[in-house]
Amino acid sequence: MASIEIENLTKRYGAMTALDNVSLKIESGEFLVLLGPSGCGKTTLLRCLAGLETPDEGEIYMDGELVFSSKLNRIVPPGKRNLGMVFQSYALWPHMTVRDNVKFGLDVLNLSESDSKNRLDQVLKDLGMSDLQNRYPSELSGGQQQRVALARLLATKPPVFLMDEPLSNLDARLRMDMRVELKKFQASTGSTTVYVTHDQTEAMTMSTRVVVMRGGQIQQVSPPSQLYKRPENTFVADFIGMPRINLIQVNQSDGKNRLYSNGDIDIDIGWDEAPSSIVVGARPEDLKIWKKKLEHSPICEVSSVLPNGPETIIQLTKGKTILLARIGHEIDVHEGEKVTVQFDQKALNVYDAKSGVLLGPPIDADRTN
Amino acid sequence: MDLSTRRDSPLMRLILDPVNILLMILLGVLFYLVLWPFLELVLHTITWGDGDRRLSRDAVPGEYTWFHWLQVTASPLSERMLYAPLVNTMITGVISTVIALIVGGGLAWCVIRSDMPGKGWLQPILTLPYIVPSFAIALAWETVFRSPKVGGQPGLYETVLGVAPPEWLSYGTFPISITLAMHYFPFAYLLVAGALATIDSQMEEGALLSGASRMMILRRITFPVVAPAFAAAFVLTFGKTIGQFALPFLLGAPTQFHTIATMVYANLALGLDSMAYVLAILLILMSLLAIWASNKFVGNNARRFETISGKGFRSRQVALGGWRWPIFWSVAMFGFVVGILPLILLGYQSLMLIDGFFNLSNLTMHFWTGQSDPEIAMGEPGVLHNANILGATWNTIELAFFSAVIASLIGLIIAYIVVRKDGNPLAKMLDQIAFIPFLFPTIAFGAMYLTMFAEPRGPIPALYGTFTLLVLISVVNRLPYSVKTGVTAVTQIGRELEEAAEVAGASWGRRFRKIIVPLASSGVVTGMMVSFVGVMRELSLIILLITPSTRVLMTVGFNYAEEGLTQLSNALVLIVAMLTIAGELILWWAGKSKLVRLREKHS
Repeated sequence: MASIEIENLTKRYGAMTALDNVSLKIESGEFLVLLGPSGCGKTTLLRCLAGLETPDEGEIYMDGELVFSSKLNRIVPPGKRNLGMVFQSYALWPHMTVRDNVKFGLDVLNLSESDSKNRLDQVLKDLGMSDLQNRYPSELSGGQQQRVALARLLATKPPVFLMDEPLSNLDARLRMDMRVELKKFQASTGSTTVYVTHDQTEAMTMSTRVVVMRGGQIQQVSPPSQLYKRPENTFVADFIGMPRINLIQVNQSDGKNRLYSNGDIDIDIGWDEAPSSIVVGARPEDLKIWKKKLEHSPICEVSSVLPNGPETIIQLTKGKTILLARIGHEIDVHEGEKVTVQFDQKALNVYDAKSGVLLGPPIDADRTN
Repeated sequence: MDLSTRRDSPLMRLILDPVNILLMILLGVLFYLVLWPFLELVLHTITWGDGDRRLSRDAVPGEYTWFHWLQVTASPLSERMLYAPLVNTMITGVISTVIALIVGGGLAWCVIRSDMPGKGWLQPILTLPYIVPSFAIALAWETVFRSPKVGGQPGLYETVLGVAPPEWLSYGTFPISITLAMHYFPFAYLLVAGALATIDSQMEEGALLSGASRMMILRRITFPVVAPAFAAAFVLTFGKTIGQFALPFLLGAPTQFHTIATMVYANLALGLDSMAYVLAILLILMSLLAIWASNKFVGNNARRFETISGKGFRSRQVALGGWRWPIFWSVAMFGFVVGILPLILLGYQSLMLIDGFFNLSNLTMHFWTGQSDPEIAMGEPGVLHNANILGATWNTIELAFFSAVIASLIGLIIAYIVVRKDGNPLAKMLDQIAFIPFLFPTIAFGAMYLTMFAEPRGPIPALYGTFTLLVLISVVNRLPYSVKTGVTAVTQIGRELEEAAEVAGASWGRRFRKIIVPLASSGVVTGMMVSFVGVMRELSLIILLITPSTRVLMTVGFNYAEEGLTQLSNALVLIVAMLTIAGELILWWAGKSKLVRLREKHS
């Protein structure tokens, strides 16, 4: 329905730069999630798209139309941008009933009485709120309030949905249900959606693409699976995944190009040319545990065992190096036990230690295997 | 560039933003109505006026001069004009403030921290003296202690005891201090009660566990913790007493006892405008000094004395034991004497055919229902047939209504700008200018508007003598309060509520009408009611600006009192007192049944 193009957007608050030269192209109908720790600029970016914040530099196009340009001195006000927004607090007007809350946007559009009524009834029915339409927001549960916010968004049929952490006020179980529902509505309307969250599970499960931000800059834009498997820098690698990824800094051992070590662990990345200092990223599930000895594999002590239903997280120690491994619940290990740790070479990522940028997987899968 | 692009440019958006337009307009208006009158007042005192030629042969109208300032501060007149009234102001101010604080503080402790019975209905009675016009208490005092030496009929004291009260009991420092204290102790009570309510009783329990006695806890723990509130209450109460006009005038003027405030009025009555204005400026300076001192003390100590930790806050009441009932009866008696007795006395006296004779055969309804009788009260008809009074009643209600509504609405708009444009220096300036009227003693404020609007000035006609001027000064005088109420209300309305409407495409006007006004309404309506009551009992603010056609109940009552028509003035003040009490009752009732729905989920 509408694509969005962001070009070189910068927003400063005094000395603080909230958005630093951000460029992004959002395809029509996409479900794009802005993900990052608090203060990374994701909400600022969303509010710039909505027109609630005025960027200092850059351009924004929506559906091919220029809605903001610092060069051309053009700012289209929020109400003229053809978008709907769900706020973190839902921002339901407490003095209006559910029906009046949803109707407000239609009133602004000056729809005919019958059109407005039909649409209202339809959207309330779609969201299962027909019975509650005469209640006030404070008389609703959190989940119901969330639905009213959604109804308000859907009623005006905007081609662009903006959502600012809409599920963060719900309890865990309800959040799961609402994820499914949100995704369903987005798919049925085909509206381009930009969704802000700090919850990576939410980002992974709902999005077509995820944008990871940090300090006002975009770190990575990828489909969720790619984001998990091939984080493009150590920040993204560290930020995505729970329990967190093992990042092991290793240095080139004397003379031998291919063997790296940090004193406790030796890793052969199989490259002929690489920087002298690298960081190896290994997801906890990419560590295999053996009770027998294996060649070229370090032996670590199990320092902690944290069972969690279907899986068990174990902490492994060798010298100063601490590793986390995710193993199936069928493997029985005890604290203090010595085990052999084997890395899944294909799943590893290698980063430049200085810049933190992804260099690639250790052995190019296409070349060797 | 096409038209729409130009309208979308940041500069045009900044200029066309309705909030910015309002900000600029309000800044201009408030500058004109608050700062400019002060400058006018100052200028007036350092310029020769037309009337000054009878004071000095050197007078050249329009030229600058220090004559008036020197006349007031360093001339043979200064002693009577400035220094004696200054001393009187300070003495009555300090005595009444100390009494008000001791009484108010003690009562606050009884109500907030002890298990005294009957708190529920004692509290409203204890605030009565502050709700009724201060003038009512002065009249009631006169009813009892009037001395025939000064003229007029004897009071209740003489009737009962057979001897005239000593003059110090009738007029001057003593009665003024006592009646001021009676009027202001509820103010001190409210301030101290607010501080006491924040004390965590765990602090006291800690001392109790270490073996301290109840007196020791009060002295070493409770009092030091509320000390800053006490200090602030002292300065604020003092600041209020020095601006009081009607009360010291009634109980001082008959024996030539003057305070600065009454001297302003007396000088204006004599046509010595510039002298009066010099005194008004001095009064403003005293008030500024008091507020500054209060801010300084509280500001420096606020953090150190922060008592609410947010965790495990408990307020346990102190058991009075055997003292419970004696204390209750004392407080109840006191409440009756200061809160209800004055009103009964006023009511009784308004029924006396001949003032001062307290036997039943002297009772009449003439002053309420009688027709004009040349034998009685110079032919003034009773309240219900008196066109003068009925007109004043209508004027009073009209003035209070318009002022309250306009002040609340402007207050809300200013509050909106201040909250939403947080960090904008112009918005901050607007906030500060709107607060300034709080610093002006009301009689001095009236004097400013007198200089400002006596003659036409540019496009603005001479508003002196118009109803508009009364509304104007009442609105500006109420602004500091209505802005404060508005800020509280707007702060509670989450920004997202408005942004949601903005994204939906609603214009600013629509958002303000449909979102801000309904959500702020419960707080603003309460504020409106407070203003309504406040304007109704106001006298010193408008006494200098009143003309016969714009009379209100308070000024008519004051004039009757000046003319010695005691029964009528009592009746009028009683009417105002009843109206204000009714207003407070409505407020109290509304506060209890406030819509809980709007209080939830605002953030």
